[in-house]
Amino acid sequence: MQTLNYTKTKQAARWFDVRRRKAGMWAYALNRITGIGLVIYLYLHLGVLSLLIRGQSSWDTFVGVARSPFVLTLDVILLAGILIHGLNGLRLAITGFGFSMGAQKALFIIVMLIGAITLLIAAIKIFTI
Amino acid sequence: MNALTVALEIFRYKPGHPMRYDTFTVEIEETAHVIDAIDLVWARHDPTLTFRRACHHSSCGSCALRINGIERLPCITRITDVCDGKTPIRLEPLRNFPIVSDLVVDVSEFFQRMSATGMTITCEAEDYLPLTVDSFAVADVVPKMVELPENLSRFNRFEQCIECGICMSACPTMATDRKFLGPAGLAAIYQARHKTDDPVTVKHLLGLADGEHGVWRCHSAFECTEACPQAVDPAGKIMALRRELALRRLQRLFRK
Repeated sequence: MQTLNYTKTKQAARWFDVRRRKAGMWAYALNRITGIGLVIYLYLHLGVLSLLIRGQSSWDTFVGVARSPFVLTLDVILLAGILIHGLNGLRLAITGFGFSMGAQKALFIIVMLIGAITLLIAAIKIFTI
Repeated sequence: MNALTVALEIFRYKPGHPMRYDTFTVEIEETAHVIDAIDLVWARHDPTLTFRRACHHSSCGSCALRINGIERLPCITRITDVCDGKTPIRLEPLRNFPIVSDLVVDVSEFFQRMSATGMTITCEAEDYLPLTVDSFAVADVVPKMVELPENLSRFNRFEQCIECGICMSACPTMATDRKFLGPAGLAAIYQARHKTDDPVTVKHLLGLADGEHGVWRCHSAFECTEACPQAVDPAGKIMALRRELALRRLQRLFRK
């Protein structure tokens, strides 16, 4: 029987298709996006740390760049990714073992609110210290 | 009753031809369901349109498709619930199944998963009766009580699961792991496991659930439970299986 099958790329794009979907799907997509972002950051971080091999001057130059508003904004985005991924991970650990299943949407909203408040406080600190 | 003018944008695919969307306009009663509109398109506009339907009351699950991107049963979805009067109602086949023709998908993979458990899903919440009314009795005939067959200790109605495949279409993990047992398959394993205390059967069922494509593949989008038209709650069953598997591992760990 001849059938139509979509390509793997199109299939994978469905991870992020949140149109008309509920809170659980939004949490799923956010976790995937932030997870991929954090893996990319990990490699960038290792690359930046390798500047230490080149001596103090190259590291000092980097620290100067790291204090620019652009990089500080990237820091806030990074923190947002960590908070979303980490707090949602806690929610998944709870629901993943059959606890509070009926409250998974409420849990998502609660952890995202905690994340938003933490991010706001951290962002103020990052830009004022 | 008022008639509505409804536009339907329907996914079309025939083997050997590129896929496309065709738009049809039909006049239909405002109390009608989406399946009635599809019937009208087939009867009055395009008899080559392929779709499935049978019971018209959410018992068979055969008509399942995506309406405006979300998995639903068109036989119980009212036109007025999905039509905003401005944009056409978009009808597409279920995702994560090979498309055979237009709105028809090959659901054989679904039934392969269900058969892995060795049983159909049955309902725990139903009342069990020693005698039951013959469901095939005609309305104005005195209902006939059916004797319990000798080999059955009680009647057990088929559960809410109507095997429509909606949960497999809604699951984002199914999109990239075709071997994933999926929400319906894992819910069936859960039900089968709770029907028996036989250690060999329990070991087999939990082994299936604990496998590479079992419960740990689920990434908790909960879309299966959201989309299920019969409140089977596959996500809840998957999480319950996880808990049992985790507890068993912990017990083994501390015994050592």
